[in-house]
Amino acid sequence: MFELDPGEDITLIVDMVQRFASDILSQQYRDFEADKALPEAVLNSYAALGLGAMELPETLGGAGLGSRAKCAVLEELGHGDPGAALALDGIGPALYAIAELGGDNALENIILPRLDNPAARIALIWDDGKPQKQHSLQRTGDQYNGTVPWLPCSDADLLIILDRQGASVVDSGFAFTPLKGSGLRAAGAAEVVLNNAPIIERWDKPAAAARALAKWQLYIAALLVGVSRVAADTSREYAMERVAFGKPIAHHQALAFLIVDMRTAVDSSRLLVQDAACRADAGQAFEEAAATAFVEAIESALFVTPNALQIFGGQGFMQDLPLEKYMREARTLGLLAGGIDLAKEIAGQALCELDSTVELSALALAE
Amino acid sequence: MDFSIDSATQERIEKLSELGREHVRPLGIEADQLGRPTPPDHPYFEKLVGMGYGRTRYKGRKGPADSAKKSSDRSKTKRMGRSRASLLLSEQMSYWDRGVAVSAPGPGLGEGAILSMGTEDQKERYLSPFIKLDKPRWGAFAMTEPAAGSDVAGIQTRAIKDGDNWVLIGNKSFSGNSSRSDFILVWATVDPSLGRGGHRAFLVERGMPGLQDFHIEKKMGLKAYESTSFRLEECRVPGENLLGGEAYYESRAGFKGAMATFNATRPLIAAMAVGIGRSALDESLAFARDNQMLDDPRIRDRLERVTRKLRAARLLCLKAAWLADHQLANIVEASMSKAVAPTAAFEATSLGMELLGMVGGRGDHLIEKLFRDVKAMDIVEGTGQIQRVVMARQLVGLPHG
Repeated sequence: MFELDPGEDITLIVDMVQRFASDILSQQYRDFEADKALPEAVLNSYAALGLGAMELPETLGGAGLGSRAKCAVLEELGHGDPGAALALDGIGPALYAIAELGGDNALENIILPRLDNPAARIALIWDDGKPQKQHSLQRTGDQYNGTVPWLPCSDADLLIILDRQGASVVDSGFAFTPLKGSGLRAAGAAEVVLNNAPIIERWDKPAAAARALAKWQLYIAALLVGVSRVAADTSREYAMERVAFGKPIAHHQALAFLIVDMRTAVDSSRLLVQDAACRADAGQAFEEAAATAFVEAIESALFVTPNALQIFGGQGFMQDLPLEKYMREARTLGLLAGGIDLAKEIAGQALCELDSTVELSALALAE
Repeated sequence: MDFSIDSATQERIEKLSELGREHVRPLGIEADQLGRPTPPDHPYFEKLVGMGYGRTRYKGRKGPADSAKKSSDRSKTKRMGRSRASLLLSEQMSYWDRGVAVSAPGPGLGEGAILSMGTEDQKERYLSPFIKLDKPRWGAFAMTEPAAGSDVAGIQTRAIKDGDNWVLIGNKSFSGNSSRSDFILVWATVDPSLGRGGHRAFLVERGMPGLQDFHIEKKMGLKAYESTSFRLEECRVPGENLLGGEAYYESRAGFKGAMATFNATRPLIAAMAVGIGRSALDESLAFARDNQMLDDPRIRDRLERVTRKLRAARLLCLKAAWLADHQLANIVEASMSKAVAPTAAFEATSLGMELLGMVGGRGDHLIEKLFRDVKAMDIVEGTGQIQRVVMARQLVGLPHG
């Protein structure tokens, strides 16, 4: 069921994360970028919020909160600094692959031992199954070889490599080489080379892999909504102050219309994320909805963030202001989780398989 | 609290689907082919009235106000919010045919203004026949003029006080169902130089001398309902037909009355657009499937985009309605849904035409009709541009005028 009002519990959590994001992330983002890491103090103060286990089932000591809650948290972190969000949540979307494919056993063995360590990192990698590409991965037998050209992290002690059929767990035989990175630098940036890396566990479960990918897409989409929101709000406020040709630039209709369209893009993508998350929480099929939310979140962010910069003119291009960063973050976030074309393909395929009327939202017009 | 559908609304939607498949869509196609609105004496309207459609929200003067309030509170907790329910019903009706949907009997667009501004006597007189209709009846609303569309402050129809009466002089355009209506809520001005402050609304009854020259317009689409122009040739209206009475206008609220109507209906119109878009999407998918076109990833991508845009539009409509149901401000959201849904729906119909290819050029496919129907949705109740102006006033303080 689609809940527009997330309820008191989630609202309290969101308020807490919002304060954290605005007090810390939004203040120190340039330092994070320069260091390609977060100071330990920031990692610790986020860990103290106690959100590390928010999605784990209660039987494993988690809070049993669902996607709706997680997406709300991620939107706020994305509003603060999406690169920092990835660094703060070291297990991150790898959790979904482990939970969906490995089940409670894998959660116990892989996640629980890492929970209390804010520096623990599990990297989730998408294997698109196209070995003919220059930078690609090859899985042969029980080994992985090849190159992951970029990951938004500087290191990891475990790799989860997700593909359309299932997922592989790799804990050795790989090396991280630091990169400059284009966006999300706060999380670090590295190339990963796998050299006869042994697959210590392989799960072949296409349906579970599809769910894991969908939750990964939702994760990224929620961060994107946060980035779009902060870019839209920052530029809207500026446009009301900056005067040109005798009035605030926001009162020139060309910009007034652009600004309302930017707000519309933010709201549209947020609603699609919430819709998909509510479906996931209700145990309904949500893969198509998540793919849709992901595509819309990327397209919205790529509409909103360059225009937010544009509204600031030359200042927007300068690194004194965060506008240029919003644009880089939006662009690079949209490369993760298999990218936009995969998501379009998933949603498009789902449409092709329909033999009844198209259902538009969680409130199904059930036939 | 949430967007889920309660069983009563679900039942109504299902009932509507049956009606839609058997009557609404065929009637829409018939009107389109014949190029005329469904005549008022068509048995379909009798059937609708028999099924309980066309009724007013007005509860009548009888019965203690207290108990009526209590029972409506009770039904509120049990049933889905009114705005969301009517939104989904509107969408579903438009899925089958938006033109036929608008032709349905009922008190019409003026109902909201009568309920919010009207005197008790006016509500009783004009709305009580719609509490339980004895026969198909319509009410109409007339604001637009040949020279005043979105800029309603510019209406020229004059209202001149003459003793206890008012004399109305002017021309009205594009008024839905007005030639068949019992009454038309006509907007006029006592002084065009006063702008909105000069506005007055009048309940003009059928047969009043001077209400004349009804002309049913020829439209590109949505032919099943009449969009009618008429003239007020020194039309004499009793003083008691001034909506709300003299006192109401002393607080300069004339214009607000009209806008309140629009504020509640913008998400409804947006939902109707979603309904048309969904209809086009279903037809497009069926055509593409039947013609083995779905193997083409370009086509799948375009279908994905159209579905996504409609889905976002539907959610924006629901959000606006959800806010209305909770009596929260929804000006921005109402305009947002109205700005977005018609273009999303247009894109759905236009993609459908491209999938049809040369078949679309024949002019006899449902998608081709939907393509012509849908364009109006970006115009009625405020164009997409006007919605952006409304939003910009809220979001960046865009000055009026």
